[in-house]
Amino acid sequence: MTETLRQTDVTEPTELAQIETGLEIPPPERSLVTGRKRRFGFMFWLAVTFLVVLLFSAFFANLLPINDYDTAFSGRSREGPTWDFPFGNDNIGQDVFSRTIHGARVSLIVSGVATLIGVFFGGLIGLITGYFRRTVDAVVTSMVDLVLAFPALILALAIILFFDSEGESRMFWLIVTLGLLSIPPIARIVRASVLTVADREFVQSAHLLGARNGRIMFREILPNVIPAILSYSLVFMAVLVVVESGIGFLGLSVPPPQPTWGDMINKGRNELEIAAHIALFPALVLFLTVLSLNYIGDKLRELFDVRESFL
Amino acid sequence: MTFVRQHVGVMATVAIVAVVVGSFVLRPPMLLTFALILVIGIGAAAVANGSQVLRKVLGLIPVLFVITFFTFLIMNALPGDLAVNMLGPGATPQAVAQIREDLNLDDPLLVRYGDWLGDAVTGDLGVSPIRQEEVASGITNALPVSLQLMLYAQIISIGIAVPLGVYSAYRAGSKGDRASSTVAFGFLAMPSFILAVLLVLFFSLGGLSIFGFHVGAEVLPSARYIPFGENPLEHFKSLILPAMALAAGQVAIYMRLLRTDMISTLQQDFIQMARAKGMPDRAILWRHALRPSSFTLLTVIGLTIGTLIGGALIIEVIFTLPGLGSYVFEAITRRDFIAVQGSVLVIAAGYVMVLLIVDLLYIALDPRLRA
Repeated sequence: MTETLRQTDVTEPTELAQIETGLEIPPPERSLVTGRKRRFGFMFWLAVTFLVVLLFSAFFANLLPINDYDTAFSGRSREGPTWDFPFGNDNIGQDVFSRTIHGARVSLIVSGVATLIGVFFGGLIGLITGYFRRTVDAVVTSMVDLVLAFPALILALAIILFFDSEGESRMFWLIVTLGLLSIPPIARIVRASVLTVADREFVQSAHLLGARNGRIMFREILPNVIPAILSYSLVFMAVLVVVESGIGFLGLSVPPPQPTWGDMINKGRNELEIAAHIALFPALVLFLTVLSLNYIGDKLRELFDVRESFL
Repeated sequence: MTFVRQHVGVMATVAIVAVVVGSFVLRPPMLLTFALILVIGIGAAAVANGSQVLRKVLGLIPVLFVITFFTFLIMNALPGDLAVNMLGPGATPQAVAQIREDLNLDDPLLVRYGDWLGDAVTGDLGVSPIRQEEVASGITNALPVSLQLMLYAQIISIGIAVPLGVYSAYRAGSKGDRASSTVAFGFLAMPSFILAVLLVLFFSLGGLSIFGFHVGAEVLPSARYIPFGENPLEHFKSLILPAMALAAGQVAIYMRLLRTDMISTLQQDFIQMARAKGMPDRAILWRHALRPSSFTLLTVIGLTIGTLIGGALIIEVIFTLPGLGSYVFEAITRRDFIAVQGSVLVIAAGYVMVLLIVDLLYIALDPRLRA
């Protein structure tokens, strides 16, 4: 009798699975996926530090004691790194270091705000479709699939260039376009995570207690999918950083004199043979930014045991 | 008939590859190639799994409708006169009037869309007023370049990712596994255009000297496309760098996916069974474990190929390859709406078609899906 009681008492899916399959499943303080201890580790904090420093310096770029990004220092054209110019100078003598920091503004603002737009609307759509299913789900899911069939980069370039041909409000159009384009994929991910919790016992008991749909969605389900949303939105932001710099590389991001990483790398491409540092330093910072975002997102996912096979 | 039923996926894949290769050599009209692929795909899938496939195919039609209509809307939603938008502010009134008449701009939007659609179905995508050239023939010239680039990138990335993924799943947690995972993670964060810049620097510009050490060589061309028919060796040399730039990120993605799926497959009972009966590990990995582990990988490969139908826009621009990506990019920057509209149709059609083929390959890989 006690045996059966104990078996029916377990609510943790891991314990249930353990009983059903007879397999040894690691205790909860270890990650289900890797079996490792749930710890962030040194690299995680290194990535966080890098991003915080980058965010801080991009935000206060105008107040920092760095050279003006638009001044061409005479006699310093294509010079390599020195103490005053840590990343060297570009072909007309501008300070690559301060241009990289100012370029971070565009990258971080565009990717950050666009991700927020995507997470807000995509999250809402995903929550509603994953929870209500049936007709709502079918309609919205097919619409999402439809948008995903669009060639996204072409659509983004077309919208940006057709509606803002002179580049007066390029930042705004970049944010709007990339934000809109990130809604469907995020909605998809959120929907899949909602589906994994929507049938769990605590949701059923909330139903039985007479909770309304809105309450169940926001008080029961949402807190359980937030870890997944958080880790994926970091990875998604990394994607948008790459997309923004790609658009900048094509010369279609925020126009000069505002520096952008993509544009700096593209301009530096012509100087590769004589002064490779002009392209390589912004490329390195871009790479480290994407790497850090990916790494943090991955670590969070590992920690919260968000399994990709669910999605 | 049962033989056909059982091997339909393999046969269809072979047939489609044959059509693609044939179209490289013979250069038939693009729509003929597309139609052939579609017919093979649908036919094969219908043989194996009728009604489900039919539903999927019918589902494609509204998708193409909506995509083309939406593209049409965007261009017409632009503020100002479409004809002036196309030709730029310096256009003469005669030229504007000419365009208005050529494109029937005085007709209502829906009528114009209907006209365009009617022409598009017969393979006529209109004439680009800026390039003074048929859009369909422009795309026909550009598409093979993009497809070649896509094909080489896929060959490189699958060829590296599959053995590496299988190995790192087999030796999960070992030094080799951790090393390859770390490298893959790095490549995942490397945008293709940065990699392209690095490849050009190290392989075609002679590389860098750091603290007296010189790395790199001038061995490959950086920006020149040579058709296969002209000189096969030079052709491969001209495409190897762009293909590598594209493949690196894909290797990382594919490898990680395959590794995860393979690890969970290797824990299943039938693998233990195979081990118990004394099957060598290599045979277990390649003959028993790989197939059930490859579904996620297949989906993602399909999505990648579908996306690359439209060309790898940035890579094509960097290496000045005359592919569909460059074509669309030029059309967008020159406000060549007719060309943009036509390319979007072709790209979207290619994308949904590839997804259809992926569904078909599922049937080949998973006997349980066969009717």
